[in-house]
Amino acid sequence: MAGILDVPDVFSLAQSEKEKRLLPELVELTARHRAACPPYDRILATLGVPKNARYQSVAELPWLPVRMFKTHTLKSIPDAEVFKVLTSSGTTGEPSRIYLDRQAAAAQSSALARTMRSVLGPHRLPMLIVDTRAIFKDRRSFSARGAGVLGMMSYGRDHVWALDEQGQPDVAAIEEFLARHGDAPFLIFGFTFMVWLHLYEVARERRFDLSNGVLVHSGGWKKLADRAVDPAEFRREFADATGLKRIHNFYGMVEQIGTVYLEGPSGGYLYCPDFADVIVRDPETWQEQPPGVPGLIEVVSTLPTSYPGHVLLTEDLGVVHGIDDGDWPGKRFTVLGRLPRAEARGCSDAYGGAA
Amino acid sequence: MTVTMRFPDRGERSLADLLAQLTADPDGKPLAVGDPRIRDFLAEVAGRLLAPKMARRYPELASLGFFLRRAEVDRMARRLIGEDPLVIRVPRGLVFHVPPANVDTVFVYSWALSALAGNRNVVRISSRAAGAAEAILDVLAESVAQADPVVAHTQLMITYGRDDEVTAALSAACDLRVIWGGDRSVTELRRHPLAPLARDVVFPDRSSFALLGVSGWRRASDAQRRAAVDGFANDVYWFDQAACSSPRALYLVGPPGDAEGVLDEFRGLLAEAVRRRGWTVDAAMAVEKRVRLYGAAADGHVTDLEFAGNELAWLRLADPTQPPRGWLGAGVVPVARVDSLADVAKVIQRRGQTVSDFGFALDELREFIAAVGGRGIDRVVPFGQALSFAPVWDGYDLLTEFTRATTLRG
Repeated sequence: MAGILDVPDVFSLAQSEKEKRLLPELVELTARHRAACPPYDRILATLGVPKNARYQSVAELPWLPVRMFKTHTLKSIPDAEVFKVLTSSGTTGEPSRIYLDRQAAAAQSSALARTMRSVLGPHRLPMLIVDTRAIFKDRRSFSARGAGVLGMMSYGRDHVWALDEQGQPDVAAIEEFLARHGDAPFLIFGFTFMVWLHLYEVARERRFDLSNGVLVHSGGWKKLADRAVDPAEFRREFADATGLKRIHNFYGMVEQIGTVYLEGPSGGYLYCPDFADVIVRDPETWQEQPPGVPGLIEVVSTLPTSYPGHVLLTEDLGVVHGIDDGDWPGKRFTVLGRLPRAEARGCSDAYGGAA
Repeated sequence: MTVTMRFPDRGERSLADLLAQLTADPDGKPLAVGDPRIRDFLAEVAGRLLAPKMARRYPELASLGFFLRRAEVDRMARRLIGEDPLVIRVPRGLVFHVPPANVDTVFVYSWALSALAGNRNVVRISSRAAGAAEAILDVLAESVAQADPVVAHTQLMITYGRDDEVTAALSAACDLRVIWGGDRSVTELRRHPLAPLARDVVFPDRSSFALLGVSGWRRASDAQRRAAVDGFANDVYWFDQAACSSPRALYLVGPPGDAEGVLDEFRGLLAEAVRRRGWTVDAAMAVEKRVRLYGAAADGHVTDLEFAGNELAWLRLADPTQPPRGWLGAGVVPVARVDSLADVAKVIQRRGQTVSDFGFALDELREFIAAVGGRGIDRVVPFGQALSFAPVWDGYDLLTEFTRATTLRG
């Protein structure tokens, strides 16, 4: 019987070992994408990056702003080999378009499965989804929220929706789920804000016993910060009110599908799977920040083989708190929030946005 | 149906009430072209804008104050009233101004000239207006206390949401509608009909660029070169390089060998000017620039891309006839070299608006304008004046547009 603090197989590499493994793979990916994706090659050539450049560290690799996938078609596979096109609309504007071939699609789903197994165990668990099945009906919200839910559903079985079609807690359904599955490990999944707003409130009022649950949740803390709930409080409240202690937040994006940064068992910090890493950069000098100093998060992963998304600068702010000193080896970090969008002040900006 | 008043008072006001005030003539004497009551008010406003405290905080308001100073306003009024005793300029009546949301000061230029022309005015102020725009509204409010009551009665500034009903009512009521803010706002506003006798003055999307004469540069003194670069820096950094008259490309005009040396020197001086002025861009703008510049590179429009810090990016256009179409962020200088002004003239399109220049003789520029042949270009100004507002804008003489001519015995 594995204790929860055992090192799972996908969170196993110490930082120096990880960089030693990642660097040559990422260098090889850079060369491969340059050869196969002309717009990507033009960007690096314009910046003066030599094709045979030598890199001493992962932080030296050239990065792309993640928003490029919204503004441009960037893929390293011929049209005939496109197996799947993922789209995600952020809150504004054009969706990102991510092109996968059969091999990349298989690799991302197996990587995600290995990552999830590290907190869920080897078997599919009964799954309580803190959302409404209505998200599959609305084509517009489907791309973002629905895809997230759908992706997670494959890690559970006997799915039950905790919210009714109006988005209100379906108390009878939750009670029935707990009566049937509550005495053995089960999975709870939802977006952070919904979990707090809809599940926590009901569970506390009704004194639900969630002590066998594993909660996996994602999404920013911004909406919760407005309610003065921080990650520590979130964990404490759930533990006190419902007995739920196994809680894992995660961070990821469609532009690096399959790569998920997972909160460790003792809570509060995210960790990078062995095939990925984060680099926090100073937005003034673009150099890597030392631990403890916030900056923009760059995500690197060896999964993107069919599009040049292996080294991406996000618009999320974060901070690395420590290296090889937490639940799992490697970098221990948190996401602090999103960089605001720059606004054009021009004459041609205008009336449409004036309201 | 209500609107939020921004001037002369604050608070909610019903649309019906607003329209009643705007369409009624004030008690006593109606406004005339160059009315002294308006001139006094503008002089008071100018004085407050030029106060050192204000000018330090918002340098762009100092240029506005300078534009509205009494001597300048009197000069404009004299010119407007004209010398021909048989052509009498009269106000148009009610003017509805829709300025851009983000260029803080344009609404004042547009409004002030129209007020000077003796019109009743209603100006739609963006709800996003902040900083300099708020400061101006405060100055207007302070100044109106001393002014003739006719000012408060005839000059109104309002904010309302995306409310077609208000826009439609004001459009139907006005004699002249002034639409700033580019193609989109022009198209959007034109959905609302005007009265048959009324008309529009529109400011759609435009693009502007800079010309640097290589031989002129080489003949210039050190001091002249520095002054030119300082001026260019102003043109680039004001309004985050997003105004329609902000230069979006720099053409070096001259032979290749000489041009490279001049460009090196120009780049060094520009970096220095930016440093000296302490212009910075924040992280959000830095990322925005990367996204847009990498995008231009991905599209093949650019051959070299170099960041001199987050503040300044240099790029080399792959094809001088293909200048960047859209905004690339604050502090971006796309460069192309051409042999002669005639080569630049060939690439000018109808939307070309402001050319700022250094190192050319007036005759060369005249020849250039003739070569463009009216396809574009409304103004040619020296470096540093690209964003200086002038009463002739986008080819319109605004004071003439804001009045009508009544001929006597004509």
